[in-house]
Amino acid sequence: MTASDIIAILQGAVVTVTLSLVGILIGLPIGLGLALLRWGNVPVLAPIVAVYVSMLRATPLVTLLLLLFFALPNIGIEIDPIAAAILALVMNTAAFNCEVWRAALMNFPKDQFEAAQSVGMRAAQRFRRIVLPQIVRVSLPGLVNEMSLLIKVTPVLAVVGVVDITRAAVRIGAETYEPLPPFLVAVALYAPIVFFLVSLQRWIERRQAAAEAAA
Amino acid sequence: MSKYAIASWKSVSRRRLLGLLAAQLVAPVLAGKARAASMDEIKKRGLIVATEDDFRPFEFVKDGAPTGFDNEMLADLRKYATFEIKQQILPWTGILAGVSTGKYDVAITAAIITKERKKSLDFTSPIADATHYYVKRKGDSSIMSVKDLNGKTVGVQAGSALLARLPELATMLEKTGGRLGKVVEYTSYPEAYQDLALGRVDYVVNTVINLNALVAEKPAVFELGQAVSGKSFPAWAVAKGNKDLLDYLNGFIAKQKENGRFAELQKKWFGKSFPDLPVAFEPEF
Repeated sequence: MTASDIIAILQGAVVTVTLSLVGILIGLPIGLGLALLRWGNVPVLAPIVAVYVSMLRATPLVTLLLLLFFALPNIGIEIDPIAAAILALVMNTAAFNCEVWRAALMNFPKDQFEAAQSVGMRAAQRFRRIVLPQIVRVSLPGLVNEMSLLIKVTPVLAVVGVVDITRAAVRIGAETYEPLPPFLVAVALYAPIVFFLVSLQRWIERRQAAAEAAA
Repeated sequence: MSKYAIASWKSVSRRRLLGLLAAQLVAPVLAGKARAASMDEIKKRGLIVATEDDFRPFEFVKDGAPTGFDNEMLADLRKYATFEIKQQILPWTGILAGVSTGKYDVAITAAIITKERKKSLDFTSPIADATHYYVKRKGDSSIMSVKDLNGKTVGVQAGSALLARLPELATMLEKTGGRLGKVVEYTSYPEAYQDLALGRVDYVVNTVINLNALVAEKPAVFELGQAVSGKSFPAWAVAKGNKDLLDYLNGFIAKQKENGRFAELQKKWFGKSFPDLPVAFEPEF
């Protein structure tokens, strides 16, 4: 393996991290929104969300991606590989995030909610000041778990021509007929990415614990 | 979808609602029949070409840039064509599906012409002779000729023409009283070669061109065997019935043959030129 091969894998790492980040950043709030629709039992929308989540959780990411990429042009929507990849990641991770958020919402103590109501907090205020800080803390481990899974399914995006860490390694293996060295580099790159994510989770948890001790 | 079904969501069959929703999603997708772009459309919006990224020596990526026989042909096509050419590089898995659904106009890759593929695709003039050979580990004395492949484990690419034509090898083996051994399918050839080197499979079947390139690169590890199929030709693929584009590409290939560039590129990437390639090929398999 040459220096330019290492650079190619590092470029793949940039793609992996960027796509994962975009997927996570868009998927998190959408997941929360979906969970709130179900939690609030919003007529018409809540059951649609339930069906959406069931379907998306049952669809392998690669199938969803191929469907989006090859079927959308048939109904007149042109979609390029990166857009299809992001759309598939967001659709997939939002469904899983929705369930993590929803679990936290369902376990949210009703008395706190009523207490907030009794001191005259409006709905938006109740959610922002009372509900959100607490469900974030409860959901964090589940959400970070889903994020690390998301990072590790990104090699699937290669089927439509996205060159992530794994695809870059495959290409080098195909050119040199020696697949092992590039794969070792690839594995060595995934580990710190996920480690960073987990460290971030620990840091947020420590900060929350400190804030609570101070209160 | 009736209002009732949504209102009493918990009591009415969840499966039916799921099915209805899925049907609404899928119906327009199936109804909207895939259609290949006409030559006029291509001249306006450009030709969308799909190539592979790990199929040495036809197409592969070296130092971040696509290269190989097909990519050099594509570079010539860019000069030949009066319209823009957009290239998409992706793994084999999505290529033929993308061409038959109209996502790409042409797969500029070594797609072996088979009867099955002819049902949904049309093929240009062959770009090489790709008779199937086997490759074995260097110095494996248990395999000296085709008849020694009896019962041995073979590695081959999933969904490939090589896999589809293994029955031919089985027939050859039966004639000498043998049989085809276990078949292991790989998503791409580099993994199959790696497993051959590791001893997980006993031989790998691929086109003579790919195997020549492999053996030239790793003469200490692999050794080329003998032919395990009849005539086999790879070509570029367009959507079924896109005759205008097919004629255009065949015209380009004919010109490349005429000016000697075709033979030159074959010699460079395959080690030899193939002067007697047919202009059109009707597959038996």
